[in-house]
Amino acid sequence: MVVGLSAAERRYLTDGIAQGLRNDGRGLYDFRAFSVELAIIPQANGSARVRLGATDVITSVKAELGRPQASRPSQGRVEINIECSSTAAPQFEGRGGEDLSLELSRALYRSLLCNNGTGPAIDLSALTVIEGKLCWNLFIDGLVLSSDGNLLDVLAIAVKAALSNTGIPKVEVTSAAAAEQEADFEISDNPDDFSGFDVSHVPVIITLTKVGRTYIVDATEEEESQMSSAISIAVNSAGHVCGITKRGGAGLDPSVLLDMISVAKEVSKSLLSTVDAEIMAAESRGDDQM
Amino acid sequence: MEDVSSRGLHFQLSDSQRNRLRKSRELLREAPGNYHPSAFVNIADPIHVENEATVLKGHGTQVLDGQLLATLSGVVERVDQLVTVKPLRCRYNAETGDVVVGRITEVGTKRWKVDINFRQDVHLMLSAVNLPGGIQRRRTVIDELNMRSLFEENDLISAEVQSVHSDGSVHLHTRSLKYGKLTNGQLVKVPPYLVKRLKQHFHNLKSCAVDMIIGCNGYIWICAAVDSLPSNPEIEKITGDSGAPEMDSCNESISLKVRENICRLANSIRVLSALGFLIYPDTIIDTFDASISKGVAIKDMLGAEFLVMIAEREASRRTKNNYML
Repeated sequence: MVVGLSAAERRYLTDGIAQGLRNDGRGLYDFRAFSVELAIIPQANGSARVRLGATDVITSVKAELGRPQASRPSQGRVEINIECSSTAAPQFEGRGGEDLSLELSRALYRSLLCNNGTGPAIDLSALTVIEGKLCWNLFIDGLVLSSDGNLLDVLAIAVKAALSNTGIPKVEVTSAAAAEQEADFEISDNPDDFSGFDVSHVPVIITLTKVGRTYIVDATEEEESQMSSAISIAVNSAGHVCGITKRGGAGLDPSVLLDMISVAKEVSKSLLSTVDAEIMAAESRGDDQM
Repeated sequence: MEDVSSRGLHFQLSDSQRNRLRKSRELLREAPGNYHPSAFVNIADPIHVENEATVLKGHGTQVLDGQLLATLSGVVERVDQLVTVKPLRCRYNAETGDVVVGRITEVGTKRWKVDINFRQDVHLMLSAVNLPGGIQRRRTVIDELNMRSLFEENDLISAEVQSVHSDGSVHLHTRSLKYGKLTNGQLVKVPPYLVKRLKQHFHNLKSCAVDMIIGCNGYIWICAAVDSLPSNPEIEKITGDSGAPEMDSCNESISLKVRENICRLANSIRVLSALGFLIYPDTIIDTFDASISKGVAIKDMLGAEFLVMIAEREASRRTKNNYML
């Protein structure tokens, strides 16, 4: 166990959750307040830092020109890579954070990019410059600086914020060459000449952590130490479920799962509007500073 | 926003809230009882003294090229000839007689190791605890084997600092019925420099049926008052002969009302610590009452509006009655 809690504290915590009042006064489905900062890494095309409680993550988006995959000539490529900083927690020291990093990257990738009924959250075809020859590849990197629970949800918010902050330079194709020739192109030198990124379809992830017989939203590290299992549900602005990831050892009854999904949908509405408001506020603050 | 963020709460203040917070901060800065701005020094700042030769150089100072410099950032304090720098943020510094709340980290031979937010883990000797039943006798090998039945790893205890040794090690004792294992409540951690040392660190808030232990080390334990819990005849039978309120590790069920009070007190403390105000029963209860009279929900106590409100209250209180802290 990572968090050292005495037997009495564990009992107090789980009893509180059963009674519907958590240790910091939140109800079962309340999110903590969080703050968003944008454009904190000047070298990246877009970046964001999100802090929620003591959880602190930074994400950056780097765009590079490359060749599209032969199997998908009209699509760009997106890679998501999350790293847990060894300074975040003692258990991340050495290679300790690798498992969690991988788990988080996979879960994010599944929620954002897997092509399911709702379509990928990031429009990959918008990344194409010349079909079959040239496209933008996005590298989304996340760094967990400190962890106080609910990492996946915070990372999803941070990715959304970083993508909204991303500017992709305009590319001008100078010669529309024949199919077998290399294309000539020019990247615009003007730093103001870039196209933004549509993030309205990027989902938020809501992790429902099951403690005892009930489940809670936005669990703290202490609460996560008492979980039996956790379901992370990605929901987009249309209310569609984009991905589900389960963690933890214990099994779940399918009917509970359906309940959880409907709760996640409900919570996602307010969370999405808070996230959008925070991103807007962060943007306007950034404009003020310039 | 930045200074609020640095203490663990993250939210954006609206422009008007930010102005109100700034205004109350300015009022507080000029309030009586505060240090004069010139008393603050940074690392390597010169400290002005009248006669270099007669001054006693205390903690946080150093003489370099004939000039007295600060080696810490904090406040210069002068007692007669002694000049020291008291750091603004620091770990807990144990002093004999302090009431502390700690967490057992290790069970060793004849001693427990306890985390009390000190520079190192401190010792609680087996000979410094009350045995169940309260009998006074030599501790035997059997007692050593049964140490885990008293305190396990991760258990929270309240204790008193028995002695601070010159090599930096600290010994605790729990040789009183009021000390021992803590149950039925939650721990709130605050920076130790915000806790005011008082005669009394055990508090019983009768109106909310809550007990509170404000450890000098910044660990604050808030729990349901022992007499508020439904009495368990079995436990009374066990403790009947010793007369001690035996703290059993199994919690009683706490009513929602008491739990709400505990949460509200805990959040009051969190708000005070986020604002960097001193934490002692008066301020905690004042914040607690303010939240009730303003009808603030428990979860909204960690929000921007309540935080600004408490800052304003404190500013007006301190400027109005020239109250010296």
